[in-house]
Amino acid sequence: MFGRKGKSSNYAYTAARVKAKKAHLLAEDDYSKMLMMTPQEISRYISEAGYTKEMTDLANRESGLNLLEHATYANMANVFGSILLASTGGLYDMVSAYLTKWDNWNLKVVLRGKSYGLDADGIREDLVPAGILGAESLEKLVSLEADDDILAAFGRMTHITFPQDVLAAYKARSNLAEIEDYLDKRYYAHLLEVIRPTDRPSLIFRDYVAKEVDIRNFETILKLKLDGVRGEPVMKYIIPGGKQIDAKLALQLASAETVEEALSEIAQIGFYEDIKDSLDPKAATIREAVMGMRKYEMRQAKKFSHLYPLSVIPVLDYMIHKENEVNNIRAVARGAESGLDRDVVKGLLVI
Amino acid sequence: MAIETEAGLIAIGAGLAVGLAGIGSGLGEKDAAAAAIGAITEDPSVFGRALIFVVLPETIVIFGLVIAIMAFFVL
Repeated sequence: MFGRKGKSSNYAYTAARVKAKKAHLLAEDDYSKMLMMTPQEISRYISEAGYTKEMTDLANRESGLNLLEHATYANMANVFGSILLASTGGLYDMVSAYLTKWDNWNLKVVLRGKSYGLDADGIREDLVPAGILGAESLEKLVSLEADDDILAAFGRMTHITFPQDVLAAYKARSNLAEIEDYLDKRYYAHLLEVIRPTDRPSLIFRDYVAKEVDIRNFETILKLKLDGVRGEPVMKYIIPGGKQIDAKLALQLASAETVEEALSEIAQIGFYEDIKDSLDPKAATIREAVMGMRKYEMRQAKKFSHLYPLSVIPVLDYMIHKENEVNNIRAVARGAESGLDRDVVKGLLVI
Repeated sequence: MAIETEAGLIAIGAGLAVGLAGIGSGLGEKDAAAAAIGAITEDPSVFGRALIFVVLPETIVIFGLVIAIMAFFVL
């Protein structure tokens, strides 16, 4: 009866908690203030804005920008962990499926770290324990030496079975992209499978994920285009399950000669209307397009955030906003550290 | 016999009034209490205000109770 699975979702409890947490997120004014600050002042400012515990905990080991980056990630991991611990039933399934992206992130960090010959401490620095795997499991992955052992251990922990052809392609070329692509595709397939479209809030969540798939695919197409990869070879990197960009349109976009041509091709689909304002009409760049799409995602989340208070929606909305806040803080701090112009940094923020 | 039947029906009516009102307010309180506990977990200073919202649906039982009392003493 009191098990986490096989019982009804506790939307009221979890939604109240995330709404209380959301009230403490940084507002637009806070970012305007932070843009005027030095990195040290930013660290002090966010210490007083909900990151106190993590900043204090890590202050002995880290300093400067490193402290700020690790403290923000640690805070996000703690917050997401508390949401996962609070939720039950179908809500737990959806939240845990959504958070597995951090498990995938951590596996990628471990594999990349090992392939570049980083030591355990170097790898640990980039881990974000915001997924289902706790610090103990991640520590186990870091302690393993061979890639095969890491993949096998990760598979056991997350119940993922890597297909033989993916493993064979990875071993043949020592190219991590094979594993990374498989993880991304599996993540979205699993997430879309877990979100059962039984009610309106779940449909909204599913719709949001499908739009996210579209955006990831379009980003991939643009980035590959910049590297000179076009047409059919792009299709193996396309994640299935998108809302508007199906295989046919993806191929059409992948076959476009230039970035401008690809951007004009998507003029026919929904989200172009929303991102066109952030694009320079004469010389649109990939950075502009990607930032436009990130802002579009955030606007989508804001649009549905007030709907269905007793559902997965407030929880999803908070997780999106929290992740965005962490990315914004890091962007401001990095911008201040490297002496970037304030307007440029402001353009990189998704508010 | 007729008077006994009448008294029995009144008792059943009074029981239903309190019982159904109790079930209704219980259902209402379920989500309110869960949300209040969530809010208090995040910020213990809202305990007093949260408690008021938790007991608000309880007032519905008072209507049921009034009907039950009226059934016994007024009818």
